[in-house]
Amino acid sequence: MFYQTPLKTAAILLLLTAALVYSLVAGFFGLEVLTEVAILVIVAIALDLVAGYGGMISLCHGALFGVGAYAFASATVLLGWDASIGLALAILTACLFAWVIGAITARTHGIFFIMATLAFGQMGYAYVFESRTFGGDDGLPGVPRLDLSGLGIDLNDSFNFALLCVALATVAYLLAAALLRSGFGRTLVGIRSNELRMRALGLPVWRHKAAAFAISGALAGLAGALAAQHTMFVSPGLLHWTLSGELLIMVILGGLGTLVGAVVGAGLLVFLKHEVARFTEHWHLVVGLVLIAVVLGGGRGLYGQAEHLWERRQAARKAATAAKETPEHA
Amino acid sequence: MTADLSFWAIQALNALQLSMLLFLLSVGLTVIFGLMHFVNLAHGSLYALGAFVGVTAAGLAGSYWAAFVAAPLVVMLVGILLYLTLIRRLRSAGPMNQVLVTFGLIFVFLDVFSIGWGDIALGLAEPELFSGRTEIFGIVYPTYRLFVIGVGLAVLGILAVIVSRTQVGAVIRAGVDNDAMAACVGINVERVFFWAFCVGCALAGLAGVVAAPVLSVTTDMGTAILIPTLIVVVIGGLGSLKGAIVGSLMIGFVQTFGAVLAPELAAILIYALLAGVLILRPAGLFPARG
Repeated sequence: MFYQTPLKTAAILLLLTAALVYSLVAGFFGLEVLTEVAILVIVAIALDLVAGYGGMISLCHGALFGVGAYAFASATVLLGWDASIGLALAILTACLFAWVIGAITARTHGIFFIMATLAFGQMGYAYVFESRTFGGDDGLPGVPRLDLSGLGIDLNDSFNFALLCVALATVAYLLAAALLRSGFGRTLVGIRSNELRMRALGLPVWRHKAAAFAISGALAGLAGALAAQHTMFVSPGLLHWTLSGELLIMVILGGLGTLVGAVVGAGLLVFLKHEVARFTEHWHLVVGLVLIAVVLGGGRGLYGQAEHLWERRQAARKAATAAKETPEHA
Repeated sequence: MTADLSFWAIQALNALQLSMLLFLLSVGLTVIFGLMHFVNLAHGSLYALGAFVGVTAAGLAGSYWAAFVAAPLVVMLVGILLYLTLIRRLRSAGPMNQVLVTFGLIFVFLDVFSIGWGDIALGLAEPELFSGRTEIFGIVYPTYRLFVIGVGLAVLGILAVIVSRTQVGAVIRAGVDNDAMAACVGINVERVFFWAFCVGCALAGLAGVVAAPVLSVTTDMGTAILIPTLIVVVIGGLGSLKGAIVGSLMIGFVQTFGAVLAPELAAILIYALLAGVLILRPAGLFPARG
């Protein structure tokens, strides 16, 4: 069950402050990294929504992300539409694609669900890779950014674009938190805990699963559109299953099913990659070993472990006060 | 017309060769899936390891046959090491943790290959005995590729006999069908799992060394073949030998003929096939469990 605990609020405020302070002191390269993290945070939140709270371990979020990026790029580059329409189209396309995947795979569980999502994701990858319309494996260059000059903001400046991404990541967190606190969110967690019981209670389970997947897909699509604008280029690699795997790694490193963990994990993985890359080109080895260590060590992740300890302390304190009160009552 | 016919015959042989490669990989994976309920994404990396070990062994001994023997053995040893350190612990950890740890292993293997053998594509010379071309049924076809098909068919035959006619096979089938019940009637299920896992790893290594002369040996060859292998396993049904055979043939032929007949659609076809099977028969075409 999701609660916006004081610890979560504190962690989010801390991370947001860190991001803002960093954006003021960082140079060009730092701002690029910050933008990358903010975009990945949005997809990681989208993934945590379905994987952590809905129990649907998806291996197609990379593809949803890529579909968003390609929808944005084709609307703006191929069709010459305005970037704002492209953004809406990206969110809508990814949302629709995700709904279809969610609806079809709703009956499958465990490894079959993982495989099915993998298949749909790879289908998207293979299609884009082979398609001449979408530029095949060369991708589509020359993707424009949103035009906010009406508000006096130039998004081609990396500082402004980084701030936009951080702001949208914050909005994504608030949206996800609000959704999980709603009746729909509670239902979703109910399905994860005991799907049979939810079905016995008369709930159309597949419809809820598909809806959750669609919402998650919309967020991933938004992130994809931002990524396309960030690099101003899209390539089929955005849809590849290894990206979906990396997204899953982020959520696990931070802490699955905590929402804040997704934010922490996205930052952590990008940080690890860049820091390790400074010493050796073999970042895969380090990330792989860290991942194995985290999963074997209980799999709570960095923030997940912190939250676990905090909750245990809270529970102990509550028990202590209760114990103190009992003699008086007795 | 004869030229046309021979073209299709060559395509059919190509498809058969791909199928046999996929079979060698998927049969190990399906038994690991079906018996141990373990999702091993690193199976493709073991295949790549087989190819790399093969290149080194052939370089040291100066003969392809050294590689042919060494690769399965070394890969099996690495598999045993993985089993003892990681996989035994993850047996009951749920599919997500297994996916994550074996995904981490893919990363580790990628860099181990790139550190140990470099990022340049390597080649392995085919054995002299099977070099050149052979004429069969009026078509000329590389002899080594016929050898690949032969190895696949031989393994298939041996496994089919073992699984359906021997006591070991009966024990394996019992373990796949109901491991708790098998344990109750006195079968050491844990030991059966272990040996099945070893054989699966050895076959992955064998597939790697057999594929090496046909394809080039690169660090990402494992990740490239992993997805088709997983598709074979899921389409065929987890733990089913028959499923692995039929699945390999389906994917091999669909992929090869798809590339010839409808190049734009070919890449999507196998995924569409998988999606279709998962929707209509979620347990695969030949589910091993009743």
